[in-house]
Amino acid sequence: MLENFSFRTIVEYLPLFGQGFAATLWLSIVSFAGALAVGIILCAMNLQRSRLLQLPAKIYIDAIRATPLLAQLYFLYFGLPRLGVVLPELFVGILALALNSGAYIAEIIRAGILSISRGQVEAGIASGMTYAQRMRLVILPQAIRVTIPPLLGQAIVLVKDSALLSLISVAELTRAGQLLASDRFMPAEGFLTTAACYLVLYYGLKSLAVFSARWLGVRPIGSRT
Amino acid sequence: MIEFRGVNKWFGALHVLKDITLSVEPREVVVVCGPSGSGKSTLIRCINGLETIKDGDLVVDGQRLGDRATNMTELRTEIGFVFQAFNLYPHKTALENVTLAPIHVRKIARAEAEASGREMLAKVGLGDKFNAYPSELSGGQQQRVAIARCLCMRPKIMLFDEPTSALDPEMISEVLDVMVGVAEEGMTMMVVTHEMGFARKVAQRVVFMDAGAVVETGTPEEFFSDPKTDRSRAFLSKILRH
Repeated sequence: MLENFSFRTIVEYLPLFGQGFAATLWLSIVSFAGALAVGIILCAMNLQRSRLLQLPAKIYIDAIRATPLLAQLYFLYFGLPRLGVVLPELFVGILALALNSGAYIAEIIRAGILSISRGQVEAGIASGMTYAQRMRLVILPQAIRVTIPPLLGQAIVLVKDSALLSLISVAELTRAGQLLASDRFMPAEGFLTTAACYLVLYYGLKSLAVFSARWLGVRPIGSRT
Repeated sequence: MIEFRGVNKWFGALHVLKDITLSVEPREVVVVCGPSGSGKSTLIRCINGLETIKDGDLVVDGQRLGDRATNMTELRTEIGFVFQAFNLYPHKTALENVTLAPIHVRKIARAEAEASGREMLAKVGLGDKFNAYPSELSGGQQQRVAIARCLCMRPKIMLFDEPTSALDPEMISEVLDVMVGVAEEGMTMMVVTHEMGFARKVAQRVVFMDAGAVVETGTPEEFFSDPKTDRSRAFLSKILRH
């Protein structure tokens, strides 16, 4: 079986995979940053008492979570131009990922905030803190600790979802695999290399989470110093 | 200092505070007791607006709660509140716990806030625990930090909501000793507790509540030796039996 497996072709295509790797990496970073912004805004809206702010956020989050990312991507890529909005494919791809992931991140952050006990909120209220002060000094520092692991999970999902951008011909990792598969009729070599690159990204993200936890001074609550 | 006039409150259909009329003078220590579910906690939680009242007047430090002119956030800085479950900030050290509100709410300079924070922690017997996190402290120590946290705001009133109910028996007295010290310094206090020894020692008045109403008030001496109602007699016989 392995005699048919051409490592030489992989080596030959390595520069292409290198470019795809770099593209997936940076577009994931940009998308994730956008998703964080979208998520924070949606979550802030969702936590307000005012229905006027809450309702649009809830509808948006439900709509995104109820529909496939591919459908959303196709809507932005094929649908928007018909409505007169023409955007470059890379921009459409990043937008789709950010808008999609943002809905999930909004729920992750909300769960983190709601996991903080009512007693913490009351302690802040009783000491005369405003809503903003309670959030900044009491709730968010604690919520961040519980939010990091699921946020990392979402980042990994986003990296893998970015493979869909190959369908709108963004030159990223999966696209590199497709090219090798179609140019040389070597789908095994192509997609295994692609998979290996995603694995590298996965472990990179995992170590980043450990590092960021330290950088944020995150001490699991209840542990001794 | 604190005045309830015909205060009523409902949780849904449940009438939790029934026509409460009660006043607490400056420097007075009032102990509130009564069976579980009688509305004691709700009563003191209304004073700093953790609960809102439906009907009647509640005037605290000269300000009527619910008035437009009353700034609750500001008023709360004058009212310390000690919770049954301590509610210390788990991500902050003891010293950070007691300096957080002084720095951010009272806008006191950090160095000054830390100096008085250290002093206050030393006063409650935790002079060696400045840098300990709540998870590293016993329940009694945590509650003492919580009291110090309130005192650092230099409040005019201190409210205690069953401050020793969540503690192991051997830790109760260390917290009560601190509370006695606070009372002896002339703090206006309302304390929801069943610690009758504490009531006898420092309270000027005991308020007995049952089913949302104030059933009886009197000096500790009167209340414990000569309870006037059947309900208070029944309650006392239960808590003093052992």
